[in-house]
Amino acid sequence: MNEHYGFVIAVVVPATAHEGEGSKLLLPNNGHGQYYHQTTPILPINSVLKRKKKIQTLHLHTGAESTVNTPPPPTSKLAATPLKTMPAAAALSDDDRLVVAHCAALSFPTSPPSSSSFQVHHASHPYPCAAFAFPPSWSAGGGGWAASASPGAGAFGDAKVDPSLFPSLRSVGSGVPARANAAFLAAFRALLDGSPLQSEVSRAVAEEKRIIFTGHSSGGSIATLAAIWFLETCTRRGSVNQAHPFCVTFGAPLVGDNTFNHAVRREGWSQCILNFVVPLDIIPRIPLTPLASVTEGIQAVLDWLSPHTPNFSPSGVPLIITQFYENLLRSTLSIASYEACSFMGCTSSILGTLTSFIELSPYRPCGTYLFMTSSEQLAVLTNSDAVLQLLFYCLQLDPQQQLCDAAERSLSAHWQYEPIKQSMTQEIVCVDYLGVISSTLPGRQMSSTTVGGLDVSKEAMLSLSAAGQWEKQRETNQAKIDGANCTKIREALKSLNEYKRTCELHEVSYYDSFKLQREVHDFNANVSRLELAGLWDEIVEMLRKRELPDGFEGRQDWVNLGTLYRRLVEPLDIANYYRHSKNEDTGSYLSKGRPRRYKYTQEWHEQLQRISFGSSLESCFWAMAEELQAEIANGKTFEDVRDRVVKLENDAHGWFLSGCLGKDIFLSRSSFVMWWKTLPEKHRSASCIAKLVPW
Amino acid sequence: MEDARGGEEENSMFETSHVLGALLASSPLLARAWDRCVAAADAAGGGGGGASPGFVHDGGEEGGSVYVAFSGVQAALSAAAAGCGADLFNPVGLRGDAAAARLFAPLVAAEPEDPAGGEPVAVQALALRGFLRLCGSPEFQMLLNQIRGKAVVFTGHSLGGAIAALVALHYLCTSSSSSTFAPAPPVLCVTFGSPLLGNDTLNRAILRERWAGNFCHVVSQHDVVPRLLFCPLNAVPAHIIIGMQLHQLPVRARRAAGVVATVTACMADTNQEALRQLIQEHAGAAAIEQKLATQETQGRSPYRPFGAYVLCSPGGAACVDNPTAAVQMLYATFAARCAPETGAASPEAAHSCYGELVLSIPQHLLLKRRLGATAITPAVSNYDAGISLALEASGITVEVMEAAPARQWLKTSKRAGQSPSLNCASLARRLGRITPCRAQIEWYKAAFDTNTGYYDAFKQRLSPKKFAKANMYRIKLGQFWDGVLSMLDTSQLPHDFHRRAKWVNAAHFYQLLVEPLDIADYHRSNLHRTRGSYIIHGRERRYELFDKWWKQRGFTGIATGDTSASTAARRSKFAGLTQDPCFWARVEEAREQTESAKSERNATVLAMMLECLHKFECHSSELVESKDVSIDVVAPQSSYSLWVKEWNELKLREEVRTILFQFQS
Repeated sequence: MNEHYGFVIAVVVPATAHEGEGSKLLLPNNGHGQYYHQTTPILPINSVLKRKKKIQTLHLHTGAESTVNTPPPPTSKLAATPLKTMPAAAALSDDDRLVVAHCAALSFPTSPPSSSSFQVHHASHPYPCAAFAFPPSWSAGGGGWAASASPGAGAFGDAKVDPSLFPSLRSVGSGVPARANAAFLAAFRALLDGSPLQSEVSRAVAEEKRIIFTGHSSGGSIATLAAIWFLETCTRRGSVNQAHPFCVTFGAPLVGDNTFNHAVRREGWSQCILNFVVPLDIIPRIPLTPLASVTEGIQAVLDWLSPHTPNFSPSGVPLIITQFYENLLRSTLSIASYEACSFMGCTSSILGTLTSFIELSPYRPCGTYLFMTSSEQLAVLTNSDAVLQLLFYCLQLDPQQQLCDAAERSLSAHWQYEPIKQSMTQEIVCVDYLGVISSTLPGRQMSSTTVGGLDVSKEAMLSLSAAGQWEKQRETNQAKIDGANCTKIREALKSLNEYKRTCELHEVSYYDSFKLQREVHDFNANVSRLELAGLWDEIVEMLRKRELPDGFEGRQDWVNLGTLYRRLVEPLDIANYYRHSKNEDTGSYLSKGRPRRYKYTQEWHEQLQRISFGSSLESCFWAMAEELQAEIANGKTFEDVRDRVVKLENDAHGWFLSGCLGKDIFLSRSSFVMWWKTLPEKHRSASCIAKLVPW
Repeated sequence: MEDARGGEEENSMFETSHVLGALLASSPLLARAWDRCVAAADAAGGGGGGASPGFVHDGGEEGGSVYVAFSGVQAALSAAAAGCGADLFNPVGLRGDAAAARLFAPLVAAEPEDPAGGEPVAVQALALRGFLRLCGSPEFQMLLNQIRGKAVVFTGHSLGGAIAALVALHYLCTSSSSSTFAPAPPVLCVTFGSPLLGNDTLNRAILRERWAGNFCHVVSQHDVVPRLLFCPLNAVPAHIIIGMQLHQLPVRARRAAGVVATVTACMADTNQEALRQLIQEHAGAAAIEQKLATQETQGRSPYRPFGAYVLCSPGGAACVDNPTAAVQMLYATFAARCAPETGAASPEAAHSCYGELVLSIPQHLLLKRRLGATAITPAVSNYDAGISLALEASGITVEVMEAAPARQWLKTSKRAGQSPSLNCASLARRLGRITPCRAQIEWYKAAFDTNTGYYDAFKQRLSPKKFAKANMYRIKLGQFWDGVLSMLDTSQLPHDFHRRAKWVNAAHFYQLLVEPLDIADYHRSNLHRTRGSYIIHGRERRYELFDKWWKQRGFTGIATGDTSASTAARRSKFAGLTQDPCFWARVEEAREQTESAKSERNATVLAMMLECLHKFECHSSELVESKDVSIDVVAPQSSYSLWVKEWNELKLREEVRTILFQFQS
């Protein structure tokens, strides 16, 4: 077996003399125009750039502040621990603070904003960087917030992302593409096509500058899309040296759906995206209301907020905004309750029915959220579920409060980001908000509800605890899979490898031997196959129910194990399928009989290697060969299937040379070879596999 | 001990009924449904009753949902005219009524055949009558055609809700039996303050069909109507339900109908406190009975809830979907009389407050409630805190007496909701572990495929070592599947377990592979002589059930593709397993019969025997020709091959040939 794929050589080249600057990973080319994908997750800026400086953290149990030394940075940049074990972005490094302040200055210019679609600003402090700032749009229709009549847009103005721009934004395995706000997608597309954005970014990359995207309001959403686009292009090109962009948004509306968020987390990008939110800010929640009923409401809100319109900051808000605000609160409560039901383990069957009758927004928070609870504190959350809960519970009204006052406060909160320019450079405390909540006794209710400066209700604390618990549960599930299941899988694979080798010693392909089922070892192989199927089906089932962490499908070790499994065992499933002539009952293996466990593992591999989806079907070689044989046996002539035979030969040739396909298919007694020899002489002599087939 | 374990579990558990209630209440769904209910009542009252079809509908444009609201006014008027007899709320068996049996075919068909299996599916007479009258009207039939394929909400207040539930059931029955493979469009039934509709058998039938999630009953805390039918049939104050319904009529319409006056007068006479006592007593009895799981059949009301119940108070809503918990919460919320001002509200007001509730609950949910005093209680678990919120949402404050049992009931229902799916998951893992045993038997089968076939090898105990192993695996598999069935019998598994493709397929494969060995065992020990024929007297219950599952398999995809493909394309080689699980028992019977036919002198008896044999010959040769049998059947030394030889010899005889000639012509 040639199982050499998947290792990584990394060369660390300091970009500048600064200690701890962005590291460069050079990846080897495997000789077939394919780059290996970097294995280590992209390091979040705050851990890469952390220096030996004193930073402040909040001591959570006592509530007292203390200063602690951060541990020294790891000696090798590659020895970074996986993202999940890192102390979540609970502390911003000093460099990060400078960058954030810098972004705030760009997003809230003192001079009136120019009319250009974005601004570039180059800086050399704290490190050479190029910041791209996107201005907000203040019009609801016409390319601003709600795409007008874009084809395929949902009730919330959402549309599928363009797979050529965002190939990773999908759920691997099931292949469902992510959805995002159609208007923002279109606006970003227009920027790419109609503005110097691409060339400016390329120039900055060539100058080895760190790329930063930022924006206020809808500009922040565009910045998020830009950052993901940038990460996509860099990783596809294999040039990950610049792939630590930094995205800082201020009061940005939600951009994408759950798949979007899942994909970003799977790729390890979520820590590059920092979303600053003033807890009461109305704007981030706007996508949670169904579009059809509220377009005028959104426009009224935007008009009120826009610095261009004369009625900026009048006394009191018009009635339409108050109505819209109540509508928004209710929609936000709906979606928060719906999600809470899911992660609290609600077993009620009515939940499924209700989703057909209640319009639920598809949008979910994505990236790291920093709630600006006061000028001294930031509540940091990386858990998307918890962020969604806070998006509602922060807005819950005080019983004495008038709705219109609440609406006005919520609207004016959208212009309360500017102080961040100053506060960032002073001492501001970051609190890992969910960490605080779950650090109390397991299963116990928090006594204080004002930790981290957020004052929320009892329901909110319960929902947040449940969100944290669910995240922990997923980690526990993963740990279980990593332990017992992994060992069992490896053992079974080892015995099947043994089986394959024994067959090859007899000049027989293990595929043919298994299909005949004559010997004891064929039987034993079948038992191993069944055991493995059970183990992998369990994993796939857990993934489908989202019971494993988002990053699971991007983990090198599991992707490799999955590929190993698929290449070794799928031929046995194919053999079993054709041994029982299931193709005559059900249809061909590829169209009807292929189990999910192989589809999933194939897509994991393709995603991690950044190769096009559906291109590594090597494990289905035998199924394609069987289908061709069956068609010829059923009376088709060679001419009818010539093109497919040629394609299969070419594919097999390529797979064999790259080591994805074993040598067993070309053994002299392999059923494929015997069938191939019955093909017309003229074809065979010109075939690319002619040299591989023994005489 | 048990508490400690329970506490451990509770750490990761969260109560969700109030969260689900918040989802329902925050959406515009309930308010929209209520608006239609009001419109339906207006239409029924304003039109003078006779001209109105009894329902209103709207929506459905551009893929939105259709709302159909039903009014119970007509049913109530006719009942009032008939004098409000107690028989209005008698249970009517659906099977007994020819029209109903047709309209609710899937519900009735799934009923156990023998009367000992429990009471038949029954619903209350008044609602059924109202529904049947609707069915007869052309407007209603037109409506059914119009809404086909769209997302529909059926709704109704009071008796109208009970009729809406019957319409929804009928609609589900027809869309489940329609032949289209497209997924059925979503259906939701929302009732407001409706009386109980059917008995526990109906509830179980709805669970089995997986329709419980399509029903949502909104009940306010002090409404008597949804709780009245817990009273024994002879004690049901029928006029209350009728009167409550008629109370909705606009005053001018009420004056027009004289009967209304009598009913309202009758209602005014009723002692409200006595009514409350009556309901509290019987709902309480029902709640306790659910807890003890004992069935007191004598004099109890047959009516039980089904679907999800949304228990509303002005402060929130809690949604419980477990029928047991629904009974208990219906009692607990009613009995928890805490705030005197709401408790003093008239029953009429409590029955017609839904319009205010659907508006006030969402507004209340947007407020941040601060529980200053109670929040101090130290270190409550998340789970307990959640239950407190759920109780509060349904109108039970922590201080009242009913809070403690209600808390316990909610906990029990949560466990009951979780355990079936957990059991199913662990069973799936056990199936994975037992599958190698099946592979062992496949291997055993393959060893004899070319000489005697595994049936005869097992029967004759050829190669004792292999036999002993195969026998052990046979017993192990049998134990596993018996275990599965006993879990299913005690409802420890999801109610749709026997409809899930994974399990039906696994059970079917197991049966086809292993039942021949059981048949061999039966005949080896000559049980067919002592007990009688295997097919009638010897089959294990599991095989009969698996047969039924396989025949009834309703899941789309594999199964349907399978049958259509196999009829279209013939097999090119023998099937992996013989498709008739009892094939070998038939062979054994045929061999016996052939043997006795050889010495049979009586011509009539002989003719009968030959007819049977001829039938079997047709059956078996058809199977063999279509290659629906496995290769072992036609193995040279197999019982079947031997029988074919014997049969052919017998056919050579003169008298046999003449008799057979008659069958063929």
